Amino acid sequence: MLRRKSSWPVEVLRYGTILLVILFFFFPIFWMVLTSFKPESAIMVSPPQFFFTPTLDNYAHALVDKNFLFYVKNTLIISVISTLIVVAFGSLAAYSFARFNVGDGHILFFILSTKMMPAIAVILPYFLIFRDLGKTAIGKSLHLGLDQHGALIVSYVMFNLPFAIWLLVSFFQDIPRELEHSARLDGLSRLQVLRKVTFPLAAPGIAVTAVFTLIFCWNEFLFAYILTRKAASTVTVGVESFFTLQGILWGPVAAAATIAVAPMLVFVLVMQRYMVRGLTFGAVRG
Amino acid sequence: MTTTWESPGSDVVPKPGRAGMSDRMFSILLIAPAMLVTLVFAILPLVQALDVSFRMGDLSRGKLGDYVGLENYRVVFADPAFWSAGLTTLKFTIVAVGLQMILGVGIAFLLHSATFGKGLTRSLLILPLATSAAVTGLFWRYLYDTQFGVINWVLGSFGLPEPNWLGDYTIALWSVVLFDIWQWTPFVALIALAGLQALPKEPFEAAELDGASRWRVLTTLTFPLLKPVLFLVLVLRTIDCVRLYDAVAVLTRGGPGTATETMTFYLYRTGLKLFRMDYASTMAVFFLYVMLVAAVFALTPLLKQFTDRAKES
Repeated sequence: MLRRKSSWPVEVLRYGTILLVILFFFFPIFWMVLTSFKPESAIMVSPPQFFFTPTLDNYAHALVDKNFLFYVKNTLIISVISTLIVVAFGSLAAYSFARFNVGDGHILFFILSTKMMPAIAVILPYFLIFRDLGKTAIGKSLHLGLDQHGALIVSYVMFNLPFAIWLLVSFFQDIPRELEHSARLDGLSRLQVLRKVTFPLAAPGIAVTAVFTLIFCWNEFLFAYILTRKAASTVTVGVESFFTLQGILWGPVAAAATIAVAPMLVFVLVMQRYMVRGLTFGAVRG
Repeated sequence: MTTTWESPGSDVVPKPGRAGMSDRMFSILLIAPAMLVTLVFAILPLVQALDVSFRMGDLSRGKLGDYVGLENYRVVFADPAFWSAGLTTLKFTIVAVGLQMILGVGIAFLLHSATFGKGLTRSLLILPLATSAAVTGLFWRYLYDTQFGVINWVLGSFGLPEPNWLGDYTIALWSVVLFDIWQWTPFVALIALAGLQALPKEPFEAAELDGASRWRVLTTLTFPLLKPVLFLVLVLRTIDCVRLYDAVAVLTRGGPGTATETMTFYLYRTGLKLFRMDYASTMAVFFLYVMLVAAVFALTPLLKQFTDRAKES
């Protein structure tokens, strides 16, 4: 890009606009966190209050009365197990695509095209499949029925594998195959090469993929909403339970929402160097 | 140079005692677990949806019924609510994606030209992307509140009109669009910015020496070079907007009336509120078909990029 010297009015305009951009994108999150610490008297008032005596009542309500940690626990179990399976299956498959070009692009295309599948279009079949699976012996032992962890885990694995594979392929392609060659010459078997050479080298890429998968699983709403009632509900569904007949309790909602999004916000800030690559399926090496 | 598909060790004599598994066998074993999951849980629901779409399926009356041929397709395609929901999805997608692309690319240029504050802005821009639309969307209802909402308070203090964001059927859809813009413009901006920063320096230096105008540089150099990146972003955003569900579910539930009822939401309501699994499955099949056709067009360039890279390495 050309960088010409700008006059000061242009500079003022530039940084003024940047400030507006920051305000627009950051304010809703800021306001959510702020509201979570407000007493009720400072929430349902006009004009909106910026200064108030902070309180933890909303967190108490969310954690004690609504037992929100129950949803956090479910979310954690489901997201972590799904992520482990996605990364394990995804790494093996991605290595195969990157090194052997298995299927000559066609299988990869098939897997990637399932990424475009709208979840809503398969949710009804999933609902029926898991309802029936839950009644079988295998389904019972693997908790695959409706409102059970296994059903969500299977759905999340299915819906995150395409993305994970695509992203991992781009990382495996970056590893020079000469290294594997010489390891083979040293007498290592194929699996040993994978375990001792390739996967350690791809570890950063695998970690990025894992973080992305975790974020997607953690934030997922539709499957959780339709395939669970209570026992296996996740945070995104749990927040909905703050709707009452009297209206929405904004204080506790803000507290629960803050708990629900905080872990992923931290993750993203730590991983931001890799965000761009992840968000574009590895196509843009940001 | 000949390009053949050799494994890292195909020119090496296998160790004695170990059966020399062929590359082909090994590569197939590696993709087997992922393929199994994908085949079962992508094909099975598809088959099921197809099956139900040819049968009576009023679940409020019990089990699935007889096969009725193309009757469900006739009913769905003759249903004005179906097409109206399709139109809502179309309107939403065009406006949301259009504005996100314009604003996102604008913000990318803005940040690219800034000398300080870039890192901090980028960090703050990432945050909306990491939140769940179901969670922050719910909180946006508080921002949109006509009585206690911050947005109307700001508008009011500037003497501007204070709309009923989610209650007025003429603007409710645009309120959902605004939320989507909030969440996803950063995505466009961050990727466009990465694209800008990765541009080669030489052509721009040459253009400067030639005394080319800023506009000319922009239209003949910057945008053509950014095109692949922008195309990718456009495809990814369009896919997400067409299957938008979460934001509608928590912000408006399709209302007021059916003002914000998108395809996905209509499908959901037909299947799981009215229990017409037959009609809902028919819509799902139609939806999948449309997306598959779109996938062929959208993914082919991306796939080509992949196979080109595979051949290089």
